[in-house]
Amino acid sequence: MTMNGFGFFARTRATREKLEQHRLRLYRIAYSWTHNRALADDLTQETLAKALRNSAQLRDHDAGAAWLYRILANCYHDHFRRTREMEEIAEETLIEHSGPEQESGARQLMRKVRAAIARLPEGQRQVVTLVDMEGFSYVEVAQILDVPIGTVMSRLCRARGVLKEWLRAELAPAAAAPEAKIRRIK
Amino acid sequence: MSEPDKYSDEFLSAFVDGQLAAEEKERVYLELSRDEALGRRVCELRGMRELVRAAYENPPLPSRLRRAPTIGRRAAGAAAALVLALSLALGWLLQTPAVSQQPPDQTAPAVGSAADAPPAAGVTGAPVRVVIHVSDSGRAHVAQALDEIEGLLKFYRAHHQNARVEVVINGDGLGMVRADAAPFPERIRRLQREYGNLVFAACQNTIDRLRRDRGIAARLLPGVVVIDSGVAQITRRQHQGWAYIQV
Repeated sequence: MTMNGFGFFARTRATREKLEQHRLRLYRIAYSWTHNRALADDLTQETLAKALRNSAQLRDHDAGAAWLYRILANCYHDHFRRTREMEEIAEETLIEHSGPEQESGARQLMRKVRAAIARLPEGQRQVVTLVDMEGFSYVEVAQILDVPIGTVMSRLCRARGVLKEWLRAELAPAAAAPEAKIRRIK
Repeated sequence: MSEPDKYSDEFLSAFVDGQLAAEEKERVYLELSRDEALGRRVCELRGMRELVRAAYENPPLPSRLRRAPTIGRRAAGAAAALVLALSLALGWLLQTPAVSQQPPDQTAPAVGSAADAPPAAGVTGAPVRVVIHVSDSGRAHVAQALDEIEGLLKFYRAHHQNARVEVVINGDGLGMVRADAAPFPERIRRLQREYGNLVFAACQNTIDRLRRDRGIAARLLPGVVVIDSGVAQITRRQHQGWAYIQV
């Protein structure tokens, strides 16, 4: 009995440590979805807590990462269903770290990329960040977001197409020559 | 010049994300070596992906995470990812149809230097560490991988950027560095000579598997190091903050 109890706690502790290693990565994704530090932190915390509670379900460790992000996607979804403030990606958080003049070109570019991602429709934003940042396969993303794989592919494509246009408009004028008009081929 | 919509955006996205079956991939690689416009589209997609990755590599953190010991180590990696993304991004942003006299595989490096690379200014001090993953040894694929590796190294050298590039080879990629099968052994030898900051690392598991399943005792090209497991190595490197590129 004592042995069993001890084993249980040891197991829980090991699981907790294992889950904790995912915190930063989960937070990055949550931040890319919300662009809000506090909210992303809450969602990450909630995800890890839920994961710990349900860790017994997790037999197959290879499925672990996708499983965690699925929990995250659910937490995110629930949050917005509760609060109904879907439309406003807090603009101020995007401006907040647009520092003064001495901000390097690199940082500026990163900020513009984030702002562009924030402008994407939610579904596209989720797909593009999961694929690009975490390198999930399309099948995994379909499972995480609970949508058909065809939807994953079309959202991803639309997102990339739009991002390209937006960022080109932001960044190209200085660099590209006037004749550099690129016709988009469908 | 192939008809522009021979490959849909979906298809090329899937290619860039490594979601195509082997023979489809091979087909694209072959095409890439002769079709400049296609190369440009692939390059744009890759650039886009690296940009997204870099944009969140180092997000503003809540206090909880700021205390965590992992963050410090992450910062170096973020800088590396940034430089990489910038060079790729500049590559595609500056690449216009008007400059078609450039060779087809113009990726970031050459174009980045043409732009005088102002954005890189903020990060020159940080060492850039990149792990490049090769898991396919088709001739066209290896040629492309070597182009990218060399382009990257040239770019860093031209910008006096302290950089380390590690090419991790596993699975079907092993042929790239097998003495009896490598499609471009002399090119690899030249790169090794020219760039002291470049390492080719082959996966021991793959070597073992080759012996077990097909009775082949792989001999590697000189200078290629062996690591326990390609996948484990990549994971380690990523934990250490290295930027990761799959080619």
